[in-house]
Amino acid sequence: MAKGSTPAKTDVLQGTLDLMVLKTLESMGPLHGYGIARRIEQISDAVLKLNEGTVYASLMRLQHQRWISASWGNSENNRRAKFYTITRQGRGQLTAETENWKRIAGVIGRLLRTAVEP
Amino acid sequence: MWTRFLALVSRLRFVAARRRMSDEAADELNAHIELLTARYVRSGMAPDEARLAARRQVGNVVMVREEIYHMNSVGWLEVLTQDVRYAFRTFARNPGFASVVILTLALGIGANTAIFSVVYSVLLKPLPYARPEQIYSVEVVIPERRDQIPSLPVTVQAYLEWRKAHTEFAAMSALRPWECNVTGDGEPERIGGARVSATFFSFLGVPVARGRGFSAEEEQPGKERVVVISDALWRRRYGSDAAVIGKTIVINGESHLVVGIAPASLMVPTGAQLHPLLPFAPRIDIWKPIAPAVRELKNESWDHAVLVRLRSGGSAEHGRHELEAVLNGMFRVQRPGIKTQAVIQLVPVREIYAGKIRLRLLLILAASVLLLLTACASIANLLLARAASRANEFATRIALGAGQARVLGQTLTETIVLAIVGGAIAVGLAKYGALALASYGPDDVRLLADTRLNLPLLVFAMTMSVMTGLVCGVAPAWQACRKDAAAELNAGARTSLGGGPAARSRQFLVGVEMALATALLASAGLLLHSFVNVMHADRGYEIERVLAVDVSVFGQRYSAAAGRTAFYGDLVGNVRALPGVVAAGAVSDLPALASSTGGSRTIFHPTDTDFQGLVLARPVAMVRSVTTGYFAASGSSLRAGRFFADEEPLPVAVISESLARRLWPREDPTAAVGRRLRQGDVTGPLIAVAGVVTDARPGGMDREPLPVIYRPYQQWASGPMTLVLRTAQEPSALASAVRTEIRKLDPDLAVSAIRTMRDIVSSTVAQRRFQLTLTAVFALVALLLGAVGLYGVVSYSVACRTRDIGVRIALGALRTDVMRWVFSNGMKPVLIGLVAGMGAAIAAARALRGLLFGITPADPLSLGAVVVVLLLTSGLACYLPARRAAALDPMIALRHE
Repeated sequence: MAKGSTPAKTDVLQGTLDLMVLKTLESMGPLHGYGIARRIEQISDAVLKLNEGTVYASLMRLQHQRWISASWGNSENNRRAKFYTITRQGRGQLTAETENWKRIAGVIGRLLRTAVEP
Repeated sequence: MWTRFLALVSRLRFVAARRRMSDEAADELNAHIELLTARYVRSGMAPDEARLAARRQVGNVVMVREEIYHMNSVGWLEVLTQDVRYAFRTFARNPGFASVVILTLALGIGANTAIFSVVYSVLLKPLPYARPEQIYSVEVVIPERRDQIPSLPVTVQAYLEWRKAHTEFAAMSALRPWECNVTGDGEPERIGGARVSATFFSFLGVPVARGRGFSAEEEQPGKERVVVISDALWRRRYGSDAAVIGKTIVINGESHLVVGIAPASLMVPTGAQLHPLLPFAPRIDIWKPIAPAVRELKNESWDHAVLVRLRSGGSAEHGRHELEAVLNGMFRVQRPGIKTQAVIQLVPVREIYAGKIRLRLLLILAASVLLLLTACASIANLLLARAASRANEFATRIALGAGQARVLGQTLTETIVLAIVGGAIAVGLAKYGALALASYGPDDVRLLADTRLNLPLLVFAMTMSVMTGLVCGVAPAWQACRKDAAAELNAGARTSLGGGPAARSRQFLVGVEMALATALLASAGLLLHSFVNVMHADRGYEIERVLAVDVSVFGQRYSAAAGRTAFYGDLVGNVRALPGVVAAGAVSDLPALASSTGGSRTIFHPTDTDFQGLVLARPVAMVRSVTTGYFAASGSSLRAGRFFADEEPLPVAVISESLARRLWPREDPTAAVGRRLRQGDVTGPLIAVAGVVTDARPGGMDREPLPVIYRPYQQWASGPMTLVLRTAQEPSALASAVRTEIRKLDPDLAVSAIRTMRDIVSSTVAQRRFQLTLTAVFALVALLLGAVGLYGVVSYSVACRTRDIGVRIALGALRTDVMRWVFSNGMKPVLIGLVAGMGAAIAAARALRGLLFGITPADPLSLGAVVVVLLLTSGLACYLPARRAAALDPMIALRHE
């Protein structure tokens, strides 16, 4: 009965991906999965190595939390595609997560600085 | 907990769509790869290379799909669905077991809920009055008369005195029957009505729905021509037109002003509910104020029912004594010579409605509880049998690695699925059962029955059956889990002799089922025998091919006795001439209904002179007015003397045997012919006894026949009469011809009821039949459950011992030996159950004693029949497996594993 149980290591990574997806949807407006992947690639400047398929798992997770909603629409080259939109709850979550992230990044940054000095 | 629950709920949104979701994700992923490929191609890659690069960049598509699918699943829900599916598959493979369990549950729960819902509404639910527990009906008991007339209604004089006196009662209301012949607008119609105190509606706490109630001055003679009509009558006859208020309608030839319409929910006593001597119509649709005129106040007539309402905190016992004191004070003043102390009985209003049916309903309830117990025993038995036969399956599953929880969960699921399906059918059954009970039950039940199901009881019955199911279905599985699977498998493979504690508890259960079935069958048998006795009892009149037509004359034309006499004389003569009529006559009160519109009178000897000193020592007789031909038409048998002739110049009477016996106790009743008597008073005319007839008993045979004095209608004219026709063929075929004859004589007369005597008698035994039918149905179901249980146990033990039997046959045992062996094993619990059940039944029959007729509680015929039925049924249940055992081929049996 293997189901949804994933090692703790990827959890962190997943969380990061979820945050990236959420932020992308907030700044770009409704997008399909391919568009999200392209945007992340563009921003990360090929620093991040991303299995783009996991974007879809992330999108499903976000839907479960009701942070994004999905609807079918037509893409720019007239293909049917599923478009994802950030919800009100999703924006709230993004703000909270951003704060959280900044705090943790600050803490880790300080920690690393002190660790290097002596 | 709450967040987990919310998460579960939000996840459930996706569960149903998870396959579609997963497919959609696959489509998206494919599109993604296409787009990436196209992009790489545009940047100059070869198509194959581009596709490969795109795939690499997207990663493992299958894993993503699976992740999404699992994300959208709930683990235990998967297992549950699987278990439920498995349960249904198992039931489909063994539909007999599943349907028997489901049916048993449905019958046990359904029957109980239906019965209890009806019993609750009839016996326990508050009546639709304000503070109904304060309302009582008043009855007068004259101790010296008690053996003949257990109680009397009240005189209007006593009611008026009571109302004036200061007592424990906050309010009083009197009412008496009133037959209405409504004419003028539309077809003439005979409608049941009542004369009531002006305060009647406020007394009950049920104000009229439209218009107004009566005012106090409308109790004055001359101002009383106002009526309130029922909601039903208003809708039916007056088309729900509110303008009928303020209009006059013609009742009994006099115009009455309609002042109000009663609410549809108003419930009033009907028929003989208030008192056996007060014959109200089966429906009351018109109310008019009582207005005792001076003339009326001079006569003393015990013809009013009086309802009283106790003050809050008042004592009924104290109030009763106050009423007694007032009544006995009146007696002392009016008739100092009569030495009697009247006793007042206060009957709670609930008793008026439910008193006569209470015992029967409680016994029906008891029977349905026995049925529920039988159902539980039966379910226990079935599930134990199934668990035993599945011991091997459990062992195999555990051996293959199923966890304890998984095996238990599976069994639990099966039991719950059965309970839910059975319970759902039970609810439907209960609903229709309650409807059927309410509509086909006797009037007492029908009027009060509420077909809404009693929810607490439904839950209780369901819990009880399901708990039984859980205990009997899951316990064996649990046991199986704790056993060593390998040992169990080996043992199962070799013998499984079917001895052991499980088999013994199953035998015990069969014994219990049989005992319960016996008790139910015995009660049903006693009731059935009583019913047959009642139906075949000699009532003193014919039942077959007799038609009864109620006729009532009103108005100017009939105000003098001569008018009524002429009308009935003509009517009987004309009807007698109709083809198909063998004999015709009319009587003021049908003996089958035991009512008395003609009233009752004290009968004196010709030598009596001291009225007050003798009135309580002489017998009371119902006075029935008859036309010539009545005795012939009704089939009364003459013991001595003669019936009436067409002309009777001198006062004569035909008396019933019981009256003759009471008047002249030391002589044979036939010797009364030619003697003389006085009716009602010591100063009246001397009446010669022309003949003596056998007693006519009430249709239900539930009361001793009252002494009756029959008078020729010319000498004792009555307004309402019932035409009695003896016919050559089916009596109801003559109904329209009789109606035409009545119209010809008076087009304004309404004929209220044309019924065959069979229908009338049948309606008087409705309560008895109701109880009999239900008890018999319960008993048969219990018997069936017992037989199925027995069959199951015996079949199982035969199946377990196939090898054993094979060996015996191979070693030379005769087929009859095998049969005998199976039989003696199977019948043992039956016989024990039979004896125990019989004991219980005879003890329980004491409760039935009052409802039996013509038999004792230990009636050998009924109980013997029960034994025979039970033995035959269980014999059959044993015979089928026994025959199978005896027909075994030893070679196959020995190889059977």
